[in-house]
Amino acid sequence: MPEGLVYFGAALAGFATFGTLFHVLWATLLGITVGMLPGLTATLGVALMTTLTFSMAAGDAILILICMYVGAIYGGSRSAILLNIPGTPANAATTLDGFPLARSGRAGKAMGIATTGSVIGTMIGMFCLAIFAPLLAEFALKFGAFEFFWLAIFGVIISGQLTALDDPLKGWIAGFIGLLLSMVGQEGIHAYQRFTFGIFELSGGFALLPALVGTFGFAEIIGVMKDPAYEAIKSAKDSVIPKLSELFRYKRTIVRSGLIGTVMGLVPGVGEDMGAWVSYAAARRGSKEKQEFGKGSVEGLIAAETGNSAAVPGAIIPVLTLAVPGSAPAAVLLAALFIHGIRPGPLIMIEFPSFVFEVVAMVLMASLAILFFGLVLTRPMLLILQVARQRLMPIIFVLCTVGAFAIASRHFDIWVMIGFGVVGFVLREMKYPMAPLVLGIVLGPILDKSLRRGLVLSDGSLEPFLTRPISLVLWLAALITILYSSATVRRLTRSAAHRLAPRFFSS
Amino acid sequence: MTDSRMVRADFVSAIVFVALGVATLVESWRMPRLEEMNINPWSAPGIVPGVLGAIIAVLGALMLVRSCRQGGWRLAPGEALRGLGSAGSRRAALTLFLTIGYAGGLIGRMPFWLATFLFIFVFIQIFEWTDPALASRRLWRVTSAALVAAIAAFAIAYVFENVFLVNIP
Repeated sequence: MPEGLVYFGAALAGFATFGTLFHVLWATLLGITVGMLPGLTATLGVALMTTLTFSMAAGDAILILICMYVGAIYGGSRSAILLNIPGTPANAATTLDGFPLARSGRAGKAMGIATTGSVIGTMIGMFCLAIFAPLLAEFALKFGAFEFFWLAIFGVIISGQLTALDDPLKGWIAGFIGLLLSMVGQEGIHAYQRFTFGIFELSGGFALLPALVGTFGFAEIIGVMKDPAYEAIKSAKDSVIPKLSELFRYKRTIVRSGLIGTVMGLVPGVGEDMGAWVSYAAARRGSKEKQEFGKGSVEGLIAAETGNSAAVPGAIIPVLTLAVPGSAPAAVLLAALFIHGIRPGPLIMIEFPSFVFEVVAMVLMASLAILFFGLVLTRPMLLILQVARQRLMPIIFVLCTVGAFAIASRHFDIWVMIGFGVVGFVLREMKYPMAPLVLGIVLGPILDKSLRRGLVLSDGSLEPFLTRPISLVLWLAALITILYSSATVRRLTRSAAHRLAPRFFSS
Repeated sequence: MTDSRMVRADFVSAIVFVALGVATLVESWRMPRLEEMNINPWSAPGIVPGVLGAIIAVLGALMLVRSCRQGGWRLAPGEALRGLGSAGSRRAALTLFLTIGYAGGLIGRMPFWLATFLFIFVFIQIFEWTDPALASRRLWRVTSAALVAAIAAFAIAYVFENVFLVNIP
């Protein structure tokens, strides 16, 4: 840990230049703007920014992406509070109490609370990133082909379950479709071209960034144009600076939400949305003012915003240590790390020991920037929400087109973006979540190589897949997740608990 | 989507997923085992896609059974297509038409800035002319749309090419 503090200090000192601070400010401001605008998500923002920054130095590019990521998740709270439309999916829980607060003339207070919650949440997640990333990286050194195979399966199952709580079957289908899509193109062991059907451009598979820009950008554009036009609450006359006494009053909720958000970020492919929802549910359960939730509760708002922001550093932990994304924007960040020659994974603390702490310093800079913009630029930024969608969406589509094209300069990637956008829109209309699909695309190559290497090592035996300690834990966790989502099993568990409870408590 | 339309949509999508899973399984089975390269048979390229195809077919079948139990098999095509005539669906279809027209018809056939200017200007015009709520101040709307399209087209081309040094289509 002292070594970590030295790296962290050195990173902060390295960032104290005019150029770096300029990057932090513009990237965070752009992130907040992207997050604020319905139809523009953090994933799209980070993906477009990856294409823009790929000719920059690695440190500057990753700093810009992290500022964009942190800024966008925070920025989404603005439209959630003022429009009742979450700017990014991560801010859906924010609408429940943020919009009623704004409607009752307390828009400034709601935005101030959201800002403070986001900053504290990001800080809690940042501490966890600094403490747990090196530990997880050390633990991950024990992972071999068998463990990575189950990690990929568990990731898709848990992501499918948690992002489609009402209908996990759709989440799992989306996850396995993502895995299947990653099978297209040349495979990594014998260089055989799978499912290319003679199309030369498919030999490299579907590029991740055009696919993500389509799924999270183009699909959203179609969705925004389909929905009725939105109307914003245009004034925020009350103070945006929250009272310290109010924050202190909810200290337990803040710390709990920060920790829950970080854990939700850690779980593969789950991320900020669930960070907010689970924190909100836990805050409601533990609150003395339950009846206020949904009607403009400050506690509910602070729980949602602390939870989703804490999930950002949380989602970066598995990116750095396992090369497995904790959320959809983190999947883009993972791709960006590879583009810039950084190899995340279990060896990160050996190959790039200072990098984890540089990322911690980047998260700190981004959280200070959102505090600054959140408290200083609240009113001018309301103007952004006045832009009519028919004037904004064509410009966003142009950015999606250029973003899809820029990395490889292939016109084919524009069609990949459009294809993924149309399919993504149709699937989303039918309530299929997109996060497991993205996770599947990222984890596909890991699953492919791990299963075949594992089978070669065990000469076709499934025993090591099932009996090695970490594999055992992972497949049991996946099985329990599947079984628990079955209504029959849930009913049986509840009735057994109901029957057994009197025996334990009667004596 | 209403519940009944969702059940019908689930029924159709389940059939698509079963078909996709089975087709993947068949295609994976037909993939070469590369025996001539003397490789370990457990590393054959078709193994993982085959497993994934089987899992997708099973999950699709589970959804098919569920939607059939809920009455999704009583699919009336007219009912399933009912929502497609709504104003929202028309706007979505128009967006799709204009965006694909830009990506497939304009880009590559003329300079990027011109294609982008035309796309943004036409997009704004079509949506603003067809919206009765925006019928007032037409001249101002057309002029400002042209201005927005011109600024966006030149700014995007300039920033991408000269500031971030990336290629534009």
